[in-house]
Amino acid sequence: MTDADWLSYSLSDFLMFGPEVFLRLFVRINQDVWPWQAIAVVMMVLIAGLLVRGNTAAKRAILLLLAAAWVWSGAGFLMEYYGPINSPATWFGWAFILQGSLLTVAALVCPWERTARRAAQRWQAGTGWLVVTALLPFLVVAQTGNWQSLALFGITPDLTVAASVPCLLMFPRRVRWVFLLLPLLWALFSMATLWALGIRLMLVLPAVTLVLAIAGFRFSPRPAQSPG
Amino acid sequence: MAIRWSRRQFLAALAATGLSLRVPALMAAPGQKAITRAIPSSGESLPVIGMGTWRTFNVGGDEQLVAERTRVLKTFFEWGGTLVDSSPMYGSADDVMGEALDSLDAHDKVFSANKIWARDGSATGEQDSTLRRKWGIERFDLQQIHNLLAWESHLETLKQMKADGDIRYLGITTSHGRRHSDLARIMEQGPLDFVQLTYNVLDREAEQRLLPLARERGIAVIANRPFQGGNLFRRFQSESLPGWAEEAGCSNWAEFFLKFIVSHPAVTCAIPATTRVEHMEENMGALYGRLPDEQQRRRMADYVAGL
Ligand SMILES: NC(=O)c1ccc[n+]([C@@H]2O[C@H](COP(=O)([O-])OP(=O)(O)OC[C@H]3O[C@@H](n4cnc5c(N)ncnc54)[C@H](OP(=O)(O)O)[C@@H]3O)[C@@H](O)[C@H]2O)c1
Repeated sequence: MTDADWLSYSLSDFLMFGPEVFLRLFVRINQDVWPWQAIAVVMMVLIAGLLVRGNTAAKRAILLLLAAAWVWSGAGFLMEYYGPINSPATWFGWAFILQGSLLTVAALVCPWERTARRAAQRWQAGTGWLVVTALLPFLVVAQTGNWQSLALFGITPDLTVAASVPCLLMFPRRVRWVFLLLPLLWALFSMATLWALGIRLMLVLPAVTLVLAIAGFRFSPRPAQSPG
Repeated sequence: MAIRWSRRQFLAALAATGLSLRVPALMAAPGQKAITRAIPSSGESLPVIGMGTWRTFNVGGDEQLVAERTRVLKTFFEWGGTLVDSSPMYGSADDVMGEALDSLDAHDKVFSANKIWARDGSATGEQDSTLRRKWGIERFDLQQIHNLLAWESHLETLKQMKADGDIRYLGITTSHGRRHSDLARIMEQGPLDFVQLTYNVLDREAEQRLLPLARERGIAVIANRPFQGGNLFRRFQSESLPGWAEEAGCSNWAEFFLKFIVSHPAVTCAIPATTRVEHMEENMGALYGRLPDEQQRRRMADYVAGL
């Protein structure tokens, strides 16, 4: 194909499905998973509680919960539901499972430095994370007008990724990029898809990921001062 | 009291009795005959409105949407349509088409058109057999090379498949006005039964070379993107039809766009795609009634260009 041929394509020419089919993926998975959404909610509350705790054991547990969320949304939403209408979603599904495996390994082997967060800061981080992770799913409901399309953490990829990125900041900067790469790629893919589908409101989800991931490449947690 | 039924009411009543699929084309439009064109290489006649499946039939495992698309296909057959075009490039469209044909028990009603879309020139037979399995048919009526991809080797295999009776017709496709000179070269060389290209009231490049060449070489033409992927409705639907549209046989924009295409003497059929039964009904309206003549066609193109 010549350059001129490529230029004659628009983003929407690569899209093989319409917004109706895409938005129904959320309804379908919720109908099929019901009532196990409760597990996703419990996972969210646990992660928030562990963020408040903030010790080494809590960090390991957070990573294990995130790992489960990546594998669940990758093998479920991406490979079972989204993949049949959009093959790159299947490839992302495999990448999500790989990310989940890496997070599990990191949870088990990573030596954690203590960071200098006071209890009040940890409390803010935990509740802030929970409020945002609980509110973002309603963006999809606002888009569709159907409460069954609630896009929960652990079940749907955009929420899983957006909610994971702030937690990934616990990694020291030199290894953090390994875990931020896939969120970044996903956010770009998701934004391009939503843009081409004309689903503007939901663009907030990958945009949150994008901003947090870019910030994550720069931000360093302060190490704890040794007393005395 | 005499009851007068519109064509749509008549069909709705038939559908309600479950009768319509058993006596489809005859009942599609009482008192009217579907407009058909002969495939030049065989003389077999084809209704001038077919249907596409790009985007519209890629609904994955969504049973609710599969049922809705099945109703669209049912409406298509009820109105006397036969040619359905798909491609392995269209995600789950082939699986969905297979499910829909199964539930309508309509394998013998369809003029099945599919495509070979593989960089590997030796994958022709394998892809054809995968697609046949998905559709639940013994052979495709028409097998086309999608967007000229690896066309030399696929064409050789398709010729052999046609000689062996594994397909009935062979063809090649392009769209969006791309690679017209390559296509012209292939049309001049090879024995093609069909070409598929983009032609609509705004995209008329094919009129320059490809359509006259198709006539000269006796190649049937399928016009894809008849609504420019839906853009024509987005741009013009809010405008009113010209006063003389009825004279040209067009009672709505769908008929206007489609009849413009199929009234070109080189065009065999147009393949609009839709997700909605009411749109399918509008589109199939173009299969009946008068077609615009040459002068009216010019007026149609000028009218749209002037909007
Ligand atoms: N290279 C190739 O081989 C190639 C390339 C392009 C296309 N094709 C074939 O050509 C077929 C047609 O092209 P296409 O699907 O790109 O575009 P198209 O048929 O020009 O337009 C489809 C769009 O028009 C809308 N539409 C249909 N009927 C309507 C009506 N009566 N009123 C209002 N809107 C209506 C549909 O929306 P609704 O769902 O809301 O009705 C859909 O969004 C494809 O499906 C495919 O089979 C082949």
